[in-house]
Amino acid sequence: MEKEELLQKILHCVENGKVNNAAPYPPNMKGKDGADEWTKKALEEGIGPDEILSEALIKAMDVVGKKFSEKKIFVPQMLISAKAMNAAMEHLKPYFQSGAVKKKGLFIIGTVAGDLHDIGKNLVGMIVEGAGWEVLDLGVDVNSRKFLDAIGSHKDAVVGLSALLTTTMANMKTIAQDIKQQYPEVPLIIGGAPVNENFKTEIGADGYAPDPQGAVSYLNSLIA
Amino acid sequence: MKPLQQLTTEAYRQKRRLVSPLMGFPGLSLTHSTIKLAQQNVDEHFKVLKALAERFHPDLIFPLMDLSVEANALGRYTVFPCRESATVPKDDFNIEDLELLRNINIAFDTRLRGVVETVRLMSKKLPADIMKGAYVTGPYSLAALIMGAEDAAMAAVMDTDKLNKLCNFAKEKIQQYIRLLVDAGAEAVCLLEPTAVMLSPEDFEQYSAAFIREICNEYKNSDIAIIYHTCGNTMHLVEKMAGSGVDAVSLDSPEAGVDLPGVADIISSDVVIIGNINPTGTILSGTSDMVREEVSSLLRSMDSYPNFVLSTGCDLPEDVPLENIAAFMQTGREYRIS
Repeated sequence: MEKEELLQKILHCVENGKVNNAAPYPPNMKGKDGADEWTKKALEEGIGPDEILSEALIKAMDVVGKKFSEKKIFVPQMLISAKAMNAAMEHLKPYFQSGAVKKKGLFIIGTVAGDLHDIGKNLVGMIVEGAGWEVLDLGVDVNSRKFLDAIGSHKDAVVGLSALLTTTMANMKTIAQDIKQQYPEVPLIIGGAPVNENFKTEIGADGYAPDPQGAVSYLNSLIA
Repeated sequence: MKPLQQLTTEAYRQKRRLVSPLMGFPGLSLTHSTIKLAQQNVDEHFKVLKALAERFHPDLIFPLMDLSVEANALGRYTVFPCRESATVPKDDFNIEDLELLRNINIAFDTRLRGVVETVRLMSKKLPADIMKGAYVTGPYSLAALIMGAEDAAMAAVMDTDKLNKLCNFAKEKIQQYIRLLVDAGAEAVCLLEPTAVMLSPEDFEQYSAAFIREICNEYKNSDIAIIYHTCGNTMHLVEKMAGSGVDAVSLDSPEAGVDLPGVADIISSDVVIIGNINPTGTILSGTSDMVREEVSSLLRSMDSYPNFVLSTGCDLPEDVPLENIAAFMQTGREYRIS
């Protein structure tokens, strides 16, 4: 199979959420190979992991992110695309670890202290990873100390704070201020249902993303 | 016509609006209480609501919002922070567990009974001209609390039978809870479906609206108003919400993407629209002048729609300045439709 065709197969599987051969979704691709099998095959055929990442996965997740922003697909469909991307990523991981493929940078993300909601944070993490960034997910209910420790170990990282509850916005403010006090140069982006552009300014963050695609745009703007 | 619609229409005839911010937590400062204490103690809970009623006299009042009550009553692991609402973290769930959950009688749960008893006190002791409401977690959101939000989202496309089964189970438990609340004196029941905002319109219909319709059917010929609340940008869902047979929809703020006059143009005028001043950007972080300005602007934009109740887009956080609530109430009360 031609290189272009293989890359297109991977792109199509990720865009449509076809994880692997056994996955029942989407119904019209039942019984067919998914992102898992096509990525393995692409590597076996000698296609470079960096090319799979840039020409298939990043492009697919870009389309998925845009469709989500335009409300053509919704969270469940986006999650499944992200799962398909993860299946492909599993095959690429050894190349990232060996340094054969370079990531765009490191993105540290966590849901702020007092908030246990992770679906938004997970989605952003998966889409950002699909866009070529390394993601360090600190989980939920993350306090200033944990963020500061992670930044201390990765001073060139970009940091993302997530919150769903209005009641935890105050915690987001405290964490943002703690981070900026100790690491003023670290780019800080916020997201989540109760926050907006004004709140970003109020707490001294550098960016606000209304959706995962917005987070990717912000991150890519930092290395443009 | 049910009392909520009657009162809304009557107010419009008199060129005014019903005013009812979704507030509960800000009352804690009036009684020097905490969320944890009030959510676990009937008298403390009622004291907060009484203080709010005395201070602001809204047209409709609800208990403290608590999305964990039903899941907790069904035995799901729940955490109770002191100054934040109780939360149900993700826990393991197998569909086979459903049969075990089915055997749980939520009517015997202390905390759920506590909410019911709070509503009973509200019904008996708050002024008659304040309509007494109660919050209930919606079927999809309860299913998502039971199985985890991410798993519930994935199941909407990957495992539809399982999710349907769980939402139907959630609906049955919700129906039981609503009956207890109505017996205790609730005049309006607001079904909270925050998690369902992530669904496509088709999935929203299947996993939320279809079950809400069944709940509404039970109260079709009663005076009980059923309200459908979903957080976030619901512009793509609002027709499904309004078409489910509910008496009112409660919608989030313009900053979340909700255009209230736009909603009024596309849904039936029989459905009351409740909303939608930003609870955080405006009432928590804004000044009283900003609150007055935004409330006036919203009221003006809804002048030509009789089916409107002035409210907030979502529940007010604990720390909102009380003077901002006062500004909200005063502006709403003094406004006259031109």
